Order: sequence, then C-alpha cells, then structure tokens
Amino acid sequence: MNGSLNRRLFVEMLREEWRMHANLFGGVRFAAFPLFVLALGGGAVWLLTTTAVATIDSLVVGVHALVFAFGLQTGTTGFLGRDAMRDLLGDMTLIIFTARTLPVSQRRLLAVFLLKDAIYYSVLFLLPMALAFAPAVTAGLLAPTQVAVLWATSTATFLLGVTVTFSGIALSTRGVPGRIVALAIAVAIGVAFALGVDLVALTPYGVYTGASVVETTAVVAAIPLLGVLGVAIYDADYTAPARTETDAYAGWRDRLPFADDALTAKTLLDVSRSSGGLFKVAFSGGILLAVGVFLLELAGEIANVDPSPGVTLGAILGLSAFTTYNWLTQFDDMESYLLYPLSVADVLRAKRRAFALVGLPTGLAFYGLALAFEFSTVGDAVAGAVVHVGLQTYLFGVTVYLAGFSPNEFLFDTVLFATFTLAVAAPVVPIIVAGFVVSAGTPALLAAIAAAGVVLAAAGGLLVRRATPKWERLSRT
Amino acid sequence: MAAIRTANLRKTYGDVTALADLSLSIEAGELFGALGPNGAGKTTTIQILTGQLTPDSGTAEVLGHDPVAEPVETRRHIGILPEQESPPSFLTPREYFDFVGSVRDIPESVVDERIAEWTERLSFAEKLDTISTDLSRGQQQKVMITQAFLHEPEVVFIDEPLANLDPIVQERVKDFLRAYRDDGNTLFISTHHIEVAEEVCSRVGIVSGGELIAERRPSDLGPDESLLDTFLDNVASPTVNVEGLAGR
Repeated sequence: MNGSLNRRLFVEMLREEWRMHANLFGGVRFAAFPLFVLALGGGAVWLLTTTAVATIDSLVVGVHALVFAFGLQTGTTGFLGRDAMRDLLGDMTLIIFTARTLPVSQRRLLAVFLLKDAIYYSVLFLLPMALAFAPAVTAGLLAPTQVAVLWATSTATFLLGVTVTFSGIALSTRGVPGRIVALAIAVAIGVAFALGVDLVALTPYGVYTGASVVETTAVVAAIPLLGVLGVAIYDADYTAPARTETDAYAGWRDRLPFADDALTAKTLLDVSRSSGGLFKVAFSGGILLAVGVFLLELAGEIANVDPSPGVTLGAILGLSAFTTYNWLTQFDDMESYLLYPLSVADVLRAKRRAFALVGLPTGLAFYGLALAFEFSTVGDAVAGAVVHVGLQTYLFGVTVYLAGFSPNEFLFDTVLFATFTLAVAAPVVPIIVAGFVVSAGTPALLAAIAAAGVVLAAAGGLLVRRATPKWERLSRT
Repeated sequence: MAAIRTANLRKTYGDVTALADLSLSIEAGELFGALGPNGAGKTTTIQILTGQLTPDSGTAEVLGHDPVAEPVETRRHIGILPEQESPPSFLTPREYFDFVGSVRDIPESVVDERIAEWTERLSFAEKLDTISTDLSRGQQQKVMITQAFLHEPEVVFIDEPLANLDPIVQERVKDFLRAYRDDGNTLFISTHHIEVAEEVCSRVGIVSGGELIAERRPSDLGPDESLLDTFLDNVASPTVNVEGLAGR
C-alpha cells in the first residue's frame, strides 16, 4: 500500500507541476523551454569559449552556482506554505498542502515532493543545460563523459540547494531551539571557511573537479541525509506566532519626496516587511558586483587586454534592474488594486518611483564601490555611470513592457523569455565586449558608449509609456 | 432612478460563456441579491460592473458612470468586497485602512472614526496591528468588509458577504446591510446561500447560465412559498431528482 501510494503521489505531483507551468505559460511554450535552454546555453558556450572570454572551468563553476541558487529558491517556493504560494502564484492548492484533507502524512508528502522536484527539474532544465556544453566537446575542450558528470553534479547541486532550504525551514518550525541550531550550523560553516577549509570540495562541484572517494561519499550521502533529516525534523503542526507591527505606513508615505503617494509607500513597505527586507535588493547588487569584478579580472588575464572597468561594471550592475523590479512586484498583483479608484498607470507610476528610490541608488552605490577598487579614468567612470543608469532604465522598461506586474512568472514562457533575452543581450553584450576590449582612455569611444546609455534610457522611458495602455487593456480581459 | 443597469451583457472565456445575455436594472435604495449556482456568472457580473473586466458586448451603468469606459471614476463612487481577495499581506489592518483612506481621499480623522466604528461592530480591535497575512480567514474578511464601506459609498458590490464569519458577526453584518439600505444606499450582493438572500435582500434575481432567469421579492412570498422552491424550479437540473437525493 505504501509503495503504491508513494507512486501515485509521485505521478500526481509530477502531473500537477507540469500542468501548473503549462497553465501559466501555455503547454507548447513551456514544453519548448528545455530546447530554448539548450539553444541559448549552447550558443553562450560556443561564443564565450571561441572568443576566449571565459574558460570551460569558469562556465562550469557558473552553472553550479546558478543551479545552487535555483535549488535554494525552488526549496523556498515549495515549502513556504499556502499563503506565501498564493502571493507568488495566485490562488492554488497543491497536493503538498493536502495533509489536512487526505489521510496522508505531511512528512510523506514532503518526501515525495523532494523526489518529484529532483527528477522534474533534472530532466527538464538541468539536462539541456549540461547538453549545452556539446560545442565544447566538439571543440575538444571537454570529454563527452564530462557532460554526463556535469548533469549528475548539477542535479546534485540543485538538490543540495533544495535540501538546505528545506532543512532550514524544518528547523525554523521547531521554534527558538531550532533557529539556534540553524544559526550554529551557519556560524560553523562560516568559521570553517575562515579557517581555510575547502568547502567547495565538499559540494557536488568538488566531485566534478575530481574529489577523493571519501569526499565524494560524503557529498553523495549528505544530500539524502539532509532531506531525511529535514522530513524528520519538520513539524507539520507548527504555526508561527502572529506578528504585530507599529503603524509605519503613514511614516513611509510622509517621508517620500512625492506628495501623498499611497501606492509607492505601500510598495516599499511590502518589500521592507517581507523576508530579507530591503537588504535583499542590495544582496542582488552585491552578487552582480562580485560577478563583474571576477569577469573583469578574468578578461584581463585571458585576453591580455586593458578593459574599461567603469563601462564593464556599469553595464553588469545595470542588470540588477530586473531583480529589483522583481522584488517590487513580488507581493501584489494588478487585480488587487482594481478594488479602488486606481488605474494601471497609477500602479505603474508607483513601481517606477519605488524603482527610482531603491534600484537606481543601490546600483549606483555598488558602482561607486566597484570603482573604489577598479578605477581607471574619470572619462571611463562617467561613461560607466551613464551606461549604468541608462541600462537600468532600459531594463526596467523592457521588463514592464513584456512582463507587466509578474516578471517572476514569465521566466518559463519560452517566447517571452527569448524575447526578453534578445532585448537585453542586444545592447548589453556589445557594451560589455566594448568595455573588455577598448582601452579605458579612448575618449571618442567612451563618449559613444555614454551616448548609447542615454539612448537606452530614452528607449526604456518609451517602453514604459507603451506598457501602460497594453497592460490597461490586458488587465481587464 | 436606476443606480445599476446592464443591457445584454455578454462575456466569454475561450469556449466558456460566463454571461450570455444579462439585462437588469436596480433602483437606488435596493438591496439586490444575485442568487445562482456556481459558475452562473455572478462574479463576472460584479467584475464588469466595477470596471475590473471588459464585456464582449452589451452595456453597463453604475450611478450614471460607464464602468467599461470610466473604470476608475466608477470605482471612486462604489465599494467592492470580492469573494477571494485578502488584505495586503505585509500591512496591518490599521495601515491598510490608512492606505484605502489615501487612495479614496478620506480625511485621516474620518478614517480613524470609521476604523473605531467597524472594529467595534465586527469585534477585531485587538487585531488592528497584526500583519494581515497572520490573520485568520474570518479576520481577513472583517478587514475586507471594512474597506468596502470605509468611504460610505452610495453603491456597494459584495461577493459572498458572510464567508468565514462566525454566527454572531454574521447577524451584525446582516443588520448593518439592512440599515445601510434603509439609509438610501444600493447594495448588489452575490451569493449562492438562499437563506442569506431571503433574509437581507429586498429583491432577488436568479442567475443561471449567464442570464437573469427569474426575479422575486422575498416580501412577496406567500406562506407556502420559499425562495428555495423558486430557485429549484428555475435552476435545478432536470436530470437530478432532488427529492430522491434528500431522502438518502
């Protein structure tokens, strides 16, 4: 009975996951997504290795880092609970939340859910990502067996992310003692890192790079162990105590530089009260800063060029606009504002103002920080600043125009995501390449790059203007 | 004078017809109940009348405004209580009412007075500073009822007014709705609870298959009549033997 129940739950959860995505994005559009990942990844691997901008090793590191982050996020989505899911995906009830209505334990549901996630995402997303390294195999840069290993280790990395999140959430259901244990583990990992312990060797990426038998065994055993521990620790009856807050809304509204702007105040308060607060906006900027500095160093070493740090870092940090806008729209939807005398234009204005107050200053602050380490010339710094603001504005416009108020959901819609990728890559890739290969002191080219930044800002503004009637119409159909 | 009027409203979602040909007229001061089975088109009607949805064809008018052409202006004059909407997750009820007061241009002192009235009426004063996502469904419904009436609108649209409320609060809400109507305001209530429609509505329209198929005033019902009979006569599927089911 247990075996057949597990099988049935597994099949139904798999079907549910597929239908959820197919319903959100359209069956064909979602089914094409793995092919899109394969094409995009394959193109990127070919381009980056052919132009020697990146090595296979750095790409493999990047894939593992990306997949780990994806695993962390997937774990959060799956285990947040129904209210949080409703905020994220709309009103829906998943099989994982049926323990109260069906004679199935929450622990069994969680265990099957973990297994389902592993197989679903491994086949649909991680396999095409690994196969995207085929151009490197053809070029003799990678052995064919390494592609299979990459698939296995990226799947393990994804599962590590999911189980880490899940274990953390499971510990948090045990109240203060559970949180102390979680904190102690986090501190222990930090101390080990500070003492020089090679933690990466204890991850699936370490297995990819050739870890010892003991290390491989430890990694392979750790993932199911984390999953089993999480399932065992998880307190299905746990209910977090209701949180109270002193009245902060009026304070936010009164401090804004816009008169009586209720919507912008609400947007900012939503972000600041959600998990991670406004810090999560800065975190995204910090990740991009690290990536930018890493690429800058790498390009200097590999291509033996003297890149323009301002232009390069300004462009890379400009990509933070997408995650910032994502946070600003994560906690509401347009439909919820249709109870009041508010239009799409009103809501969009609030998002634009919140973006201007949070996204642009954060990006510029990281840009200033980056220049403290990578300064070249005043001209390069100014051109980079113009490019940064222009690109943030452009990316905001593109995202608003294509995705409206749901930028998170459109990622798996093949057509939309392909359009978005092209719209972003068209200006970003040439600017970054120019930043890499152009000497920092070429005034004419720096002026041209700065002019491109101004054009991008104008294009972003135009897209926002065009987005308003588009989403006004779509929000009422 | 009609406060709410529709003529030949039609709305489809792909192959599904939500509204086939809905025409109705509701006078100012009426408490109209749209009664119907699930999927009859009640919620779609409210969404069109409140400017949240555009019909495929037909016309609508609320307090002299066209909700299709002037959705924002229409919503300025009405209150809306949707069936499934919750208050914003990360705002407390007090902050949410401040927000509603701001977008509806209600002076802060008036908002404070009305918060006091409503928290007393629905017994949730102790929850005013709790994050909305941590409120129970019933408490969230109380918050949503309050926001719908905070600006004391002339017309209010309500989808399942008593959902998740305890019996005591249900009675208070029913009393309030009747009193609000007696003050000359208009209410459009959508429900599939026949007893609610019978108790509070001055007129009930039975909606099925996206059309208004019958109308009755509960006050006109004879001693041997009930709204349930009217409903079953008009709506019950001919393939279902209701009496037979009741006997099981």
